[in-house]
Amino acid sequence: MEEDDRCSSSNPGGIGQEEEDEDGKVLRFLDSLDTYLTLLDSLSSTLRQGWFEVASARHSMGSSRISSVLLDQKVQSAATTFQVRKSIHGSPSESCPSFAISKWASSRDGKCSFGELEVSHVRKTSKNSELRHRGSSNFYDTTEEHDLTINASSSISDSNVHQERSKSLSVFGTLVSPRLRAAQVSFETALDAIVEIANIRSSMLSAFTQLQQQMKEKDLS
Amino acid sequence: MDFDKPVRSQAAVAGSFLQMAGRGQIRTNNSALIAMIADEDTVTGFLMAGVGNVDLRRKTNYLIVDSKTTVKAIEDAFKEFTSREDIAVVLISQYIANMIRFLVDSYSKPVPAILEIPSKDHPYDPAHDSVLSRVRYLFSAESVASGRR
Repeated sequence: MEEDDRCSSSNPGGIGQEEEDEDGKVLRFLDSLDTYLTLLDSLSSTLRQGWFEVASARHSMGSSRISSVLLDQKVQSAATTFQVRKSIHGSPSESCPSFAISKWASSRDGKCSFGELEVSHVRKTSKNSELRHRGSSNFYDTTEEHDLTINASSSISDSNVHQERSKSLSVFGTLVSPRLRAAQVSFETALDAIVEIANIRSSMLSAFTQLQQQMKEKDLS
Repeated sequence: MDFDKPVRSQAAVAGSFLQMAGRGQIRTNNSALIAMIADEDTVTGFLMAGVGNVDLRRKTNYLIVDSKTTVKAIEDAFKEFTSREDIAVVLISQYIANMIRFLVDSYSKPVPAILEIPSKDHPYDPAHDSVLSRVRYLFSAESVASGRR
């Protein structure tokens, strides 16, 4: 007890700094935990929407037309794939995986069409900026120019995406219910949420590791 | 990775959690798949979103679980998907994960990431999530008491 007092009096800033670092790590961990739970809640809502639309499509098209029996067992590559990269949080030894999605990659081209991935990222960024700069006319002009540039490059990728989407639904017949198309969009949205959940999970695990290590070091000292 | 070895203590669980977090090998991949172990509607929905893959050996990246699916079949699918190098994420309905809870909780690799999702008849329960159940250890009386010493 006396030793602690002496330590604190001789080096008050050092212990304070350590506590701040620990508090920062705890906050980071709790933030990622909160985001993880929020994203899971959002995923649950999106999936519920998707299941409802599948059920509606099954009601209108018939149970036999939307069944796992129809699923294609021919050799085929996934049109929507994931990228896994290493991302470093803090020290180099704390690398953790980072996930990204590439939707409706053209199998004929043999390469991923990142057009949609980049477009969705830029659209998200511009939407966020609109919220922060609402009312600024100069900003809207810039946004419109940006949108025009994006539209030109995305028109080709849009037609590819439309083709891939139709191909994916073709196992259920030539004419499908609009509800089934809506379900397809819902499950695509769910995939976006899944990528975010995978990334926040990775971040949460990294923050947890750092906290565990700090607690171990404290116990040893 | 030995799936048959039982996890004996919280320390062992925390240890596997540490390995999961960052010390295991992270395989980078530019074109990885998402695997699914879920009910028919969930798998059908995600297949419509374009994640279905059938390779030359007619092996799929999904398992549809119904009332006739055995626990052994689910375990085999889980082990297969978690050992494949071309899979980045394994989605598993939480009620199915509960059937093989020991296996899911013992899993410690960073990739593929295991995500437990709700199903139509079984909503998501944070209390059963394997990641969150490990996190609770941080808030247990034991860890709080050790911090106060």
